Amino acid sequence: MEVVQIQRNLVDYTKSLFMEGFLDGQFLQLQQLQDESNPDFVAEVVSLFFDDSQKLLNELTIALDQPIVDFKKVDAHVHQLKGSSSSIGAQKVKNACIAFRNFCEVQNIEGCLTCLQQVKLEYYLAKNKFETLFRLEQQIVASGGSIPMIEMGF
Amino acid sequence: MAEKSFETASQAYRSTSSEGSPMDTPLRKVLSRIPGFASSWGKKKAPRGRRIFHRDVEEDEFQYGSSHCLSSYYSVFVARLAIMVMLAILIGLLTVLTWHFTRVYTTKSLNTLAYGLRYELLQRPILRMWNILNSTSEITTAQVKLSEYVIRRYSKPTDQAEQIEQLYQMMKDITWALFASRKALNAITINYRNGFVQAFHRDHRSNNTFYIYSNLANYSISDTESYDDKMQSSRQGWNDQFIHGNVSAIWYRQPLDPVTGEKKGKPSQIPPEDLINIAGPSQVPDGVASWHVAVSKYTDSPLLSAALPVWDASNTSIVAVVGVTTALYSVGQLMKELVEVHSGYIYLTSQEGYLLATSTNTPLLNNTAKGPKLMMAVNSEDRVIRMGAQWLQKTYGNKFPPGHVVHVEKANLGGQHYYIDSFFLNLKRLPIVGVIIIPRKYIMGKVDERALKTLVILISASVCILVIGCVCILILTNGVSKEMKLRAELISHLDARRRAEASSNYKSQFLANMSHELRTPMAAVIGLLDILICDDCLTNEQYAMVTQIRKCSTALLRLLNNILDLSKVESGKLVLEEAEFDLGRELEGLVDMFSVQCINHNVETVLDLSDDIPKVVRGDSARVVQVFANLISNSIKFTTSGHIVLRGWCENPNVSSDSGKFSPDQKKPLSALKTKLKQHGNHMKKASKKDNKMILWFEVDDTGCGIDPSKWESVFESFEQADPSTTRTHGGTGLGLCIVRTLVNKMGGEIKVVRKNGQGTLMRLFLLLSTPADGIEQGRIDFAKHSVAVILALHGSMGRLIMSKWLLKNGVPTLEASEWNELTQILHELFHARTTNSAFDTHYSPAKPVRSKVQTLQDMKNPVYIIVVDLGLLDLSTGIWKEQLNFLDKYSGQVKFAWMLNHDTSNAIKMELRRKGHILMVNKPLYKAKMLHILEAVIKESCVEPQDRSPNVTKGTLKQSDSHECLEIDSTQFETCSSDESDISEMTGANSVSSARTGEQPKEGTVLKSSPPTLRNCLVEFTRLGLEANNLRTEEDECNGRFKLHNTKDVKCENPDSSEQPSFTSNAKDRDDSYTTNKAANEQKSLQGLRILLAEDTPVLQRVATIMLEKMGAVVVAVGDGLQAVEALNCVPDGDEYRTNRLQTEICDSPPYDLILMDCQMPMMDGYEATKAIRKSEERTGWHIPIVALTAHAMSSDKEKCLEVGMDAYLTKPVDYKLMVSTILALTKRSADQRLTQ
Repeated sequence: MEVVQIQRNLVDYTKSLFMEGFLDGQFLQLQQLQDESNPDFVAEVVSLFFDDSQKLLNELTIALDQPIVDFKKVDAHVHQLKGSSSSIGAQKVKNACIAFRNFCEVQNIEGCLTCLQQVKLEYYLAKNKFETLFRLEQQIVASGGSIPMIEMGF
Repeated sequence: MAEKSFETASQAYRSTSSEGSPMDTPLRKVLSRIPGFASSWGKKKAPRGRRIFHRDVEEDEFQYGSSHCLSSYYSVFVARLAIMVMLAILIGLLTVLTWHFTRVYTTKSLNTLAYGLRYELLQRPILRMWNILNSTSEITTAQVKLSEYVIRRYSKPTDQAEQIEQLYQMMKDITWALFASRKALNAITINYRNGFVQAFHRDHRSNNTFYIYSNLANYSISDTESYDDKMQSSRQGWNDQFIHGNVSAIWYRQPLDPVTGEKKGKPSQIPPEDLINIAGPSQVPDGVASWHVAVSKYTDSPLLSAALPVWDASNTSIVAVVGVTTALYSVGQLMKELVEVHSGYIYLTSQEGYLLATSTNTPLLNNTAKGPKLMMAVNSEDRVIRMGAQWLQKTYGNKFPPGHVVHVEKANLGGQHYYIDSFFLNLKRLPIVGVIIIPRKYIMGKVDERALKTLVILISASVCILVIGCVCILILTNGVSKEMKLRAELISHLDARRRAEASSNYKSQFLANMSHELRTPMAAVIGLLDILICDDCLTNEQYAMVTQIRKCSTALLRLLNNILDLSKVESGKLVLEEAEFDLGRELEGLVDMFSVQCINHNVETVLDLSDDIPKVVRGDSARVVQVFANLISNSIKFTTSGHIVLRGWCENPNVSSDSGKFSPDQKKPLSALKTKLKQHGNHMKKASKKDNKMILWFEVDDTGCGIDPSKWESVFESFEQADPSTTRTHGGTGLGLCIVRTLVNKMGGEIKVVRKNGQGTLMRLFLLLSTPADGIEQGRIDFAKHSVAVILALHGSMGRLIMSKWLLKNGVPTLEASEWNELTQILHELFHARTTNSAFDTHYSPAKPVRSKVQTLQDMKNPVYIIVVDLGLLDLSTGIWKEQLNFLDKYSGQVKFAWMLNHDTSNAIKMELRRKGHILMVNKPLYKAKMLHILEAVIKESCVEPQDRSPNVTKGTLKQSDSHECLEIDSTQFETCSSDESDISEMTGANSVSSARTGEQPKEGTVLKSSPPTLRNCLVEFTRLGLEANNLRTEEDECNGRFKLHNTKDVKCENPDSSEQPSFTSNAKDRDDSYTTNKAANEQKSLQGLRILLAEDTPVLQRVATIMLEKMGAVVVAVGDGLQAVEALNCVPDGDEYRTNRLQTEICDSPPYDLILMDCQMPMMDGYEATKAIRKSEERTGWHIPIVALTAHAMSSDKEKCLEVGMDAYLTKPVDYKLMVSTILALTKRSADQRLTQ
């Protein structure tokens, strides 16, 4: 496949991510921060996010499995997840987190469990999307092209 | 609720009854009274519920409550009913049982008693009977024994006649003795075998005693054998013969003295067997005693007679027969006595049923032709006895129970109940049956009656108890049900409260989320606009447009924040800011904004602020602007043509205000209000002296549809509009004026609608705002000195009027023209009149006042004419405007044109104007500040011109600047955001003006004197540009906190090789630098050298923020939680690099970090705690490291919390790049300044 083609694919894919609401402006800011001194900044941050989120999700699953749920703890975890997801611009995860926190406030276990599933779903979706994105970028780099800057098309 | 249903029911009743025939009014009354009663009952029952429902406002709440209460009412009702029914059952059972047992026991005992009584009653006559029988038999036996003895004595047949004579005498004596001893005896007879009869008879009725004897036919008593034989051969024959044989005998009756037995009279002959029964041998056929009941003619009662034979000595033959007769009369007498008390009946019968004795006086004998005969009981003349006997016979027939004992308690005899008891007295040969009949009434009658009465009493008593019990239950359960209702209400209220709390919680959640959600896209929009602005390839127009969008977006963002804060206003939690701001500029911006809207409406927006309004006041600029924005937009909504005037003046309570400039109608309410304020006037004066408070008066005057005076108060209520139909036509929520009033009251002011002359509404309000203590600068250019004259050629009459008034007050002669022709006239007057005298006058014949004014202008020496021309005066629809322009161009040498542009003025016109050298262009509307700009620009130009007259130089320099200049002046329109922004633009505007005078240093002094203070400041700044850059910082701090990025700009200006021109362009770009967006490369390193401690637990955020900060040149140390942050501060980083840097640049005892970015929610120790700890430890050192909070919450309350614990600023996640930089810079600068001043 030609580099140009992949580049176009990448742009289209990124745009679709924005259109579908997976990503928001924060991701663009991240990309802007990436430069020669930090060539893999976005990938690094995103992988950090995944590690962190995976850990948080595990803890959340355990916390909600307890007979007596410590909602403060759950809330703190979700808050953290929300903060990190909003920082990388994973909008859908963030929105799920917001709903999750509302259920935490009213101490609704059913709602929390549902939301946890929702967050997990969004998380895995986002993970897939990001992985696809980075694979495309790697392909471009591998075939010698430069990663095109995404236009503000949302 | 019950009442409600009842009412509806009653309504239904009424409606049906009214629908029916109207004549039956009484019935209707009754019908309507029933539900009325019911409703009143219901009212009594549920007054509390009703009160509470009245309190409830919400409809569905009401529904909910009523349905709830309805069900509870029913349940209570059912419970009551159940309790009552149970009570009724209980009481009924008790009553029945009581009655039953009482009755049963009473009856039983009474029955027993009655039985005893009856038994006793019956027993006594029977006993008497028994007695009689006994005594009779005794007498008989005694007689027999005596007779036997006597006869045996005299049985020797010696002297028969004599002996017999003696025997009879002896027998008579013995018999008399016996007879006399027994008074009850009726008769004693001795019938000898020979037929001789001796008898004593006692007549009870006449109380006479008789001796009856037969004449002696045969003295022999010894022919017994023959007699015996005869008797043995044919008994019946003997008997008959015996009786008949005696027929021939003569009977005598001799009365005796009843006591002594002496003969009293002669014996009289009587027919035999006439008087008494003589017992003959026929009655003792077998030689044993016999009994029988006989009747006699002379007694009406049956007689009991006993017969006993007297045997001879050999005991083989019967010598004589002794008969004793006793009347049963005494038994009847006794029975009568016994029974009389009980009004009962007793009778005795023989076994065959013949009556022997009764307790009545009815005859016992039946007089038949054959003489008296015994009567059967069933034929008794006494009704009761007859019926009793009949009843017995009917019931038992002939089969009496063994012993003839019958006890019947309830025999119905002729409609009455009787007791019937019978006893059987089994005498040999004479069995007797006794029957007693007692009316039941006399024994049980009372009992029966009582039982009935008792039953009635019991039933009534139990009914009473039931009723009382029901009432008690009602009362008791009423209390209980009231309590239950209250509890139910309480529960429902608690429920409602919980829901309300939850919903308010949701609301705040919603707001928190919304603020976050709304800010993010807005930040993106603004950020993208910044990027666009930095783009090089924009034309000026595009640039202006983008700038405009940018500012509008900022305004929108601010609006969003306002909306979010509005909930705070509503809940009363609003805290007004206290910051200095330029009131005039805020209002000008507002008017600019609204004038854009008004153009389409054909409405003129005019700002009329008096000169004494302080330029800078302290207060909450956003709220003040909000107040006026609401008022003006409200006015615009309802004004279709005419004008909207925003007037403002000042009343300083310290100084008696010079109200000379107010129109009379403004003065009047002012004085009225002054008196109103008098009550707390003294207090206020003191307060205002200290705080330098001022009362600022404002009026918003429109020519709209007006408000009905009755609605003047209510328009300020929530959701209230003067005319309900306005929502349809104009939209809106009706919240605007409510918010206005809340805010105005909060600022210590008042707002009300004031009567005005003519159409429209006049809203007047005053605000209590403080002015900065450093005094009000009233420095104004004295325009009169410059001999300028202004011709206002404007469309809007109001604006023109106000402007000309103001100009005249400031000593600038003014001419007004409202249309093109007028303008040309004036121009002719002014210029042609001088050259071509009065010929022109006749041609155009201007109006007198114009002429006189023109003449005053002409009197001025070397005036500078400024013609402010509304572009609308030109005929833009056709091509004529170019000719008109050309026409005006002729005067360009003599006058200065300032053009009032519309917002939609096409570029072609602008270009044409610019081409013709008309560089002064401002957008509508015209107000003081713009006029000042125009005047200043013209004055300066006129000052320049005499020095350097060459047009190409002027034009050349101006050409560069004019595009900017017109933007400069325009740019103020959009400065609605904040006062410091407007300060900047003003400064740059002044710069451009000053830069227009290239190299005019000598003149600067004079300009300095006369220019407004801001201009002077800027000029000072410019003059010092060549001086040390470092000093500039302090200078800038004097210039009202424009510290943000000026250092970079100053660095640029410092460049020695930079001419005025490039610095100018950079200035132009710095207009928007409040967000520090600059594409210049050195912007990127704006944080160069700063050491920043980042406390953030989320690795992602930590990484992102670190990179962001490092990209801008900062040195970042990241820690994972608050505890680490505190520790990091306590041990000063030992990096040599920092140390050396520090030693070089700063004083040693400065803190290890310039700034801390602190996440609020962290494990171990959260941001608030960490900040508190840091601030505490700082007390020792005296440092103050700026701490910036990073939080995902976007509510102001979080902000307050952050600031409370000692943080300096507040950033929301996700981190906005530019905002972060500006915040950091502001804080580090401040601390640097502090350090410097120390």
